[in-house]
Amino acid sequence: MIRVDGLTVRVPGFVLDHISFTIPAGRVGVVTGPTGAGKSTLLETIAGVRNASSGRVMLDDNDVSRLPPESRTVGLVYQQAWLFPHLSATRNIAYSAREQRVVDNLIELLQLQALLEKPVTTLSGGERQLIALARALARAPRTLLLDEPFAAMDSSLRAAVRRAVLDWASARGMTTLLVTHDASEAALDGSIQLRLDRGSLLAPT
Amino acid sequence: MIALVLPVGTLVTTAGASGILAAFADPDVQRAILLTVACASSATLLAVAGGLPLAYLMARIPFRGRAIAEALLELPLVIPHPVIGMALLISMGRESVVGHTLAPIGLAIVNSPLGIVVAMLVVSAPLFVLGARESIARVDARLEAVARTLGDDRWRAVRRITLPLARNGIVNAGTAMWARATSEFGAIVLITYHPRVASVLAYDRYVTYGLPTALPVAASLVIVALLILLAIRSTRYADRA
Repeated sequence: MIRVDGLTVRVPGFVLDHISFTIPAGRVGVVTGPTGAGKSTLLETIAGVRNASSGRVMLDDNDVSRLPPESRTVGLVYQQAWLFPHLSATRNIAYSAREQRVVDNLIELLQLQALLEKPVTTLSGGERQLIALARALARAPRTLLLDEPFAAMDSSLRAAVRRAVLDWASARGMTTLLVTHDASEAALDGSIQLRLDRGSLLAPT
Repeated sequence: MIALVLPVGTLVTTAGASGILAAFADPDVQRAILLTVACASSATLLAVAGGLPLAYLMARIPFRGRAIAEALLELPLVIPHPVIGMALLISMGRESVVGHTLAPIGLAIVNSPLGIVVAMLVVSAPLFVLGARESIARVDARLEAVARTLGDDRWRAVRRITLPLARNGIVNAGTAMWARATSEFGAIVLITYHPRVASVLAYDRYVTYGLPTALPVAASLVIVALLILLAIRSTRYADRA
């Protein structure tokens, strides 16, 4: 479960203002909104990468507002992937994996075999996003935070990867928050819709 | 490039091969070179141990008074080094609190290798800290953030992600500091004339015996410094290949 109560985040020139919503355990929340609405700031604050000025973040009934990112058991995937450039794709995926079996299953699931030994700096944007998704899932987080992680993939691959990732997360009881500009992703069946605009939440439904 | 190579090249060729070989055979020169290399290496190691956390702090964590801290750090780069020598003499000399504290345990800053290390550290460590800070700042902080969401605490993320990615810049900064430390004269000559480091020995030969006697000593120092720098660079290029 992701529960955000009165979350306010101040960054230079921008305020994410008093955001409150709940995503029940195992469900998917979809965050939409124009560029600069505060979508990435929201995800980073839930992950603990950014500090909130006030408010509370609860993950699975635990108040994690004061915990550092490493204690929150979240997986965060950025649009830019942010792979570790000095490590191979394999070592990126296995960076924090607890079981090699999980890594192998993710490689199979996302069909990453051809990418494994390539320097990550030579990968395309879509390939980097695939590795970043596998890396985040390999840690078996309780909460998955996805900041447009399919945006660099071509449309045929995007739907298949999105389905595979969300099914994987759902099967393991992960709660997912997905930021997207893609209308088809925004209308995912059974998802909880959140719309942000200029730092304010317009429609928790 | 010509401005750099011409004076040093002229120095070495004027000293001549036989003069340089004779200088290398001189026990005073050997002692001075060993002392210089040992003190510069010690100062560099100390700067790495103390300066790397400081460089990280300055690159990553905003804190009140950072501008003042940076200005203080850069100060030794802009004030004449004999002035630093004077400051060290009055703050760490025999009659200072530091001098009185060190004396009972048999340590002294004045006329000791420790004094040389301290002088080298003060004048050269800013080069390391500033260089390391720039290298760390060039590693995007989001890589560290991602590592932390993957379970690393801050120190582990720094060790696994930031330091490997900043390594080349940190090594460059350490090399620049070491090179600057080996060439230091102004601060050392005031605080430790004996034992003599290479720069002080060359100066001593010059004022005592004149230029022809000092030249082979000076040229031998140039060659040693060049060889060590070439060795460091070769190792780094071999790493990249």
